[in-house]
Amino acid sequence: MSPRPQIDHIRKPQLLAAAAEVIGERGFGSTRVADVAERAGTSPPAVIYWFGSKDELLTSALTFDEDRFDGAVTERLAGLEHPRDRLRALIEACAAEYDCRLWIELWGRALRDQGAAVARQRLDDRWRDRIAEVVRAGQELGEFAGEDGIDVATIIASLLDGLAVQATLDDRGITPERMRDLALSAAELLLGCELAPQDRDAIAPGGGTR
Amino acid sequence: MVVSVSQSTRERILEAACDLIAAQGIDEVRIARVAMRAGASTALVHHYFSTREELLEQALIHSFELVGEGRFPEGDGEAESATAGMTRAIRECLPEPGRPHRDWVLWVELWLRAVREPGLRPVAARLYERYRRWMEALIRAGVESGEFRSDADVAATANLAMALLDGVGVRALIDDPAMDVEAAHALVAERLAPQLGIEAADLRRVV
Repeated sequence: MSPRPQIDHIRKPQLLAAAAEVIGERGFGSTRVADVAERAGTSPPAVIYWFGSKDELLTSALTFDEDRFDGAVTERLAGLEHPRDRLRALIEACAAEYDCRLWIELWGRALRDQGAAVARQRLDDRWRDRIAEVVRAGQELGEFAGEDGIDVATIIASLLDGLAVQATLDDRGITPERMRDLALSAAELLLGCELAPQDRDAIAPGGGTR
Repeated sequence: MVVSVSQSTRERILEAACDLIAAQGIDEVRIARVAMRAGASTALVHHYFSTREELLEQALIHSFELVGEGRFPEGDGEAESATAGMTRAIRECLPEPGRPHRDWVLWVELWLRAVREPGLRPVAARLYERYRRWMEALIRAGVESGEFRSDADVAATANLAMALLDGVGVRALIDDPAMDVEAAHALVAERLAPQLGIEAADLRRVV
């Protein structure tokens, strides 16, 4: 076993942020470990020390990126009282802020790398659980009707992925706004509810001021 | 699509490249392996394609031209009902084992490349446009024939159909335990049927 390169634990988040950036820009196939090291201001052996392989670097970087998105979304949802506002916030965040380039990279690797397949499943399950949690809360409060939370969540998550691909490839039919509107109206249909903001303001005055 | 004995050398090389991209991923594909699989010399491959990048790009284009011709035919469907056409469309757009599975892997490779490579971006955009036109035509035909609800939003329903097919298709492709091809087909049928004003079961019958 080679000696531990000179690194301390504070390096790891920096490395992951650098890896997420570089892979997002160049794609997994064109990313070299040296590129990530350079971006993070460290050496290739330090990167390999932490991650072992480029595949593991991808799954770790994507997990890091997803955690960041998940953390931001969770924080935002905590400030919203109504499940219908939380669901809208989830969909809006996904349409406006989520960068699906890394996610597409993970699909590509999941076809060929077991570690990537496992990571994809875990992250996708968490995202679906996040949606399902909100759906169930809304069903308990009577804001939503519809099928079981996880089934609804699977449909919404699949739909958002498909829309994100079209939006990312700059297909003329889909802008982030159209992605948001299509997903919102699909969710309304699934749950027999209104998610439009003006409607929410009428029902819950002051709900959006937090 | 017909692979005939008259297939040109260029097509044979492109087919070999498609098989290898699907099997190993685009980054692993080398000219020498493509040549071997196509039964050609590397010099012959280079005669048709000056760089590896050009070969790979042309291979993806070749694959989607063929898929496009088979899957998104322009102006056929004489005897078929709109519901039967839509059912066939759903089935053909999901990664069934065999050729559709290979095409789906290439589809994901195209997504990966088109995000960043200017050369492939228009290819992806053209394919999606053709995909959308085909979907809209199927829906419009059903509205006009009275099979689908008269107030169906053609553009929004086409977007919805494509997004669902891509979203569940990619899950089926990568063996998501909650989503095999059957479950994917059922989910798309369930969601599209109300938009079209028909029963989900009508979109599931094998025609």
